[in-house]
Amino acid sequence: MNTVEFIDFSTFYGQKAVLRNINMKFTANSITAIIGPSGCGKTTLLRSINRTAELENGFNSRGDIRVLGQSINEYRNVSILRRRVGMVYQVPVALPLSIMENVLFGPKYYGVKNRSELEAITEKCLRRVALWDEVKDRLKRPASQLSGGQKQRLAIARALAVEPQLLLLDEPCSSLDPASTGMIEDLLTQLAEEITIIIVTHNLFQAKRISHETAFILEGRLIEKAPTNKLFESPEKPETQGFVSGLFG
Amino acid sequence: MKKTMIDYLLMAWFWSSGLLILVILLAIIVYLIWRGGAFVNLEFILESPSGFPLGTEGGIFPAIKGTLWLILLALVLSIVPGLMTAIYLSEYGRSGRLAAFISLLVQSMAGVPSIITGLFVYALGVVTLGWGISLLAGGLALAIMVFPVIVVSSRNALLAIDENYRLVASSLGVSKSYTLYRIILPRAIPGILAGILLALGYAAGATAPIMVTAAAIIASSSGALLEPVMALPYHLYILFTEHSSIHHAYATALVLVCLVLFLNILALSLSSLQERINR
Repeated sequence: MNTVEFIDFSTFYGQKAVLRNINMKFTANSITAIIGPSGCGKTTLLRSINRTAELENGFNSRGDIRVLGQSINEYRNVSILRRRVGMVYQVPVALPLSIMENVLFGPKYYGVKNRSELEAITEKCLRRVALWDEVKDRLKRPASQLSGGQKQRLAIARALAVEPQLLLLDEPCSSLDPASTGMIEDLLTQLAEEITIIIVTHNLFQAKRISHETAFILEGRLIEKAPTNKLFESPEKPETQGFVSGLFG
Repeated sequence: MKKTMIDYLLMAWFWSSGLLILVILLAIIVYLIWRGGAFVNLEFILESPSGFPLGTEGGIFPAIKGTLWLILLALVLSIVPGLMTAIYLSEYGRSGRLAAFISLLVQSMAGVPSIITGLFVYALGVVTLGWGISLLAGGLALAIMVFPVIVVSSRNALLAIDENYRLVASSLGVSKSYTLYRIILPRAIPGILAGILLALGYAAGATAPIMVTAAAIIASSSGALLEPVMALPYHLYILFTEHSSIHHAYATALVLVCLVLFLNILALSLSSLQERINR
């Protein structure tokens, strides 16, 4: 049932090691939070899974990541891997298209042409992110008119539209107000019934609220991964204890 | 926030530099209008040169037509390679070694004196390939001259598009070409067009590359590729150096400056449109 598995995985930017010998399995249909101080390699870890980390200059890696049972380097076409692994970024990005065309950007590329099918995808995805009622009367309007929180839910809808089996989120709420954050957290909790979610967060309360398991990364090393309650209440490692009680901030 | 003395001095410097440029530009235009304005009328624009020496009477219509043909041909020849190079540099090559090498080549091309470009096309096209002094050879020389301008301005217009769009698209597994066609190009088009218009203005005023490849003292400028053409800057050069008609020289200069100014104003309005889009 493990959907993502890191096997002795290390990454480097030039000579500088970022992730060091990560071994970790993520559980399917649950939310795993990745926590750790800034610059510890959380984002690199996330971006390694769909091989967008390698778009950076000077990036290279050792070891392996298995996504849905297949090594990420064995995917003949990286776009097949990226289609299975949705990604949502820290800054809410609305593509310079209408709200509807934002959702349909992926499906249209993958060849969906039938109009009623496209409309069905739009409605389904916008409902899944609880945005449908807010935008159903202005689907043809530019997505740039949405608020930050709405844009972020649109970004999730856009990622879901190509039916990924995994959803990666890189601090998706860091630029949002508490109300929008709450909506996204509820939404992720619901989505986790169907897909596997990995979320990088600097907000320990958020990790506690929504994740089933939490992994703590420090200086590129996996220090500890455990069910969230256990990790926060009785961590095994002194570093984890220090971080969750606010010592490393 | 309180401005310091240095800020005030810098502001004064910026303003006076700007005003100086404006004064020089206005002085050129006002002087041309003063010396040549009275001779620019409908006949001057729409008639062929006549009289003896040639150009003392009549107009400059074939020269206007010839210049328009030359810049149109230069555009046709340079736009596809220029745009393709820019797209490669901004979307595909990025910071790779090949891209760095191509950037260096393009910069070197921009530094080639335009008379050298003209002589190269003379040797290659006019002599070796047997085109003779022709519109085709002049268009090619101008195309080579404006190619680096088009590459650099188009690349900058493409690079100015929000990097997050590319990131989002690639994380959906969408190809670069689809992202380019759906997102990047539509956003960058005003900026690219602005660069092309600036390049055209540059080509319209260039004299050296066409002197040895395309320009004739008198020609009908019919648009036939293998025939010589008249061109505004070359006609101006002849009128001035032969002292045939100093009034007509000023009038020709005024028409040329107005043409270039028009292209540049169009380019500027497109760039400001692009800035609004990027925001």
